[in-house]
Amino acid sequence: MSLLTLDRASKRFGNRHALADVSLSVASGEIVALVGASGSGKSTLLRLLAGLEAPTSGRALFHDAEIDGPRPEIGVIFQEPRLLPWLSVADNVGFGLAHLNAVERERRVNRALDRVGLAAYAKTLPRELSGGMAQRVSIARALVGQPEVLLLDEPFSALDAFTRTDLQDHLLDLWREDRPTLVLVTHDLDEALVLADRVVLLAGPPGRIFAERPVALARPRERTSAAFQEEKRQLLSTLHAARSGRIYEPEVLEVP
Amino acid sequence: MTTEVTSYAAADQKAVAPCPAGGLRRLARVGLGLVLPLVLALGWEAAARTGVITTHLMPPPSTVAAHIVQLFATGEIWDHLVATLTRMALGFGFGVAAGTVLGALVGYLPVAHRLLDPSVQALRNIPSIAWVPLFILWLGIFETSKITLIAVGVFFPVYMSLAQGFASVDRKLVEVGRVWRLSAFDMIRRILLPATLPTYVIGLRGGLGLGWMFVVAAELMGASEGLGYLMMDGQMTGRPAAILASLVLFAILGKLSDFLLVTATRPMVAWQDGFRR
Ligand SMILES: Nc1ncnc2c1ncn2[C@@H]1O[C@H](COP(=O)(O)OP(=O)(O)OP(=O)(O)O)[C@@H](O)[C@H]1O
Ligand SMILES: [Mg+2]
Repeated sequence: MSLLTLDRASKRFGNRHALADVSLSVASGEIVALVGASGSGKSTLLRLLAGLEAPTSGRALFHDAEIDGPRPEIGVIFQEPRLLPWLSVADNVGFGLAHLNAVERERRVNRALDRVGLAAYAKTLPRELSGGMAQRVSIARALVGQPEVLLLDEPFSALDAFTRTDLQDHLLDLWREDRPTLVLVTHDLDEALVLADRVVLLAGPPGRIFAERPVALARPRERTSAAFQEEKRQLLSTLHAARSGRIYEPEVLEVP
Repeated sequence: MTTEVTSYAAADQKAVAPCPAGGLRRLARVGLGLVLPLVLALGWEAAARTGVITTHLMPPPSTVAAHIVQLFATGEIWDHLVATLTRMALGFGFGVAAGTVLGALVGYLPVAHRLLDPSVQALRNIPSIAWVPLFILWLGIFETSKITLIAVGVFFPVYMSLAQGFASVDRKLVEVGRVWRLSAFDMIRRILLPATLPTYVIGLRGGLGLGWMFVVAAELMGASEGLGYLMMDGQMTGRPAAILASLVLFAILGKLSDFLLVTATRPMVAWQDGFRR
């Protein structure tokens, strides 16, 4: 059964066509990676699922109900940590828990900080964190509400290779614990192959789905293994084939 | 390689070692700002004593200081101080309240911005002193017109800081608020206001400065007590020392109130990651 669905969703900004007739369904517990060139509408697609934008036509559904705004079951992690600079790490993580009493809030915040390994930094201000630590705090902030879905827009792209692989492993650990559904935008094929069950390629503008490919690697995945490299080679050739139009011939779309 | 690392560490230690002369140095830094006024005062005093300037119109600092001491010694000053401070406090309070509410509204709601901002901007272009005749006509010569004038002066910088400050809050932080489904009120309270606080404090300080300006104007336009009245009185009775004494007191009050404002708000803006904290 599909947890998240885009049903012929289009998005227009003025006369700029960001997404055209995109249909996608994501099963519960699945990890989907969105890849594609700059401007192909990846962020826009994610923002439709997050309820931060409404589709111009078509529908975005969660559990078969229209997504008409951000909702507690769907957490979002942006490319930048977006921590509120005037709040401590703990207050940032607990930002969305204002409805809980202080004791319960602190318990959840501590647990979330524990899970990203930053329990010792609860009282620190964001400006004193490194980029990787700040992004971990933003992961903790998204996790603290125990969302069913986590949407991530190039969450690790600003980080160095070491921190990036660390955080990828970390995300997988978190995923193994309570199996949230993950939809992740990335420019990094290794990242897509380490994390995802399925890779979806967008091209545009106007953004549309060009190709899809399940990742046939058993978990845990070894980045250096021959099977991994072979999978990457095949994914690359799929991408190239798709871009040269052999798999999918994009019709030229008239923008009125 | 190892030696290099050690030498770095040693250099680091030297850099962070507590400086025994730290207190003295800080004193020297503050002291530096006092050099110019002290030199000027001494020069003036010397010029007065040697007869280079006529003390009749330009009394030396010692005379002014003596006058201030006398004002306090006789207790004469207190009523005037209380009058001025009360006007200032009320005017500042009303100005800040109105500027905050209207500034937040205009900053948050595009409709309110389109509806109200052009009018406010037009009113802002009227020099506030120009309101005096109207206020006196409408509100009488007594306290109400004075407090209103001060409030008008305080209003604009505070209003501007929020109306423009909200608009320049990072859209990305606002989106964090949207993801957590904040109500309009909570969006203002938990994201927009804190993010705008540094700008708001600048608005408050600007308002405070204008407030002092208009308290003088208000008291010069007719009052029976207050520091501004003392100045008027000094002019009427030909006592420049009295005028200068009020001037000095205004300067001290202005500086002191600004210092208190900055000190009170410093913890709230300590999170800033700016060029110089
Ligand atoms: N708020 C907006 N207003 C106007 N146009 C927009 C807006 N957001 C996106 N677009 C347009 O929609 C198209 C897709 O943008 P989107 O940000 O989704 O691309 P992307 O695939 O995420 O690119 P990148 O890899 O560079 O992040 C672009 O042509 C962009 O100019
Ligand atoms: Mg993007």
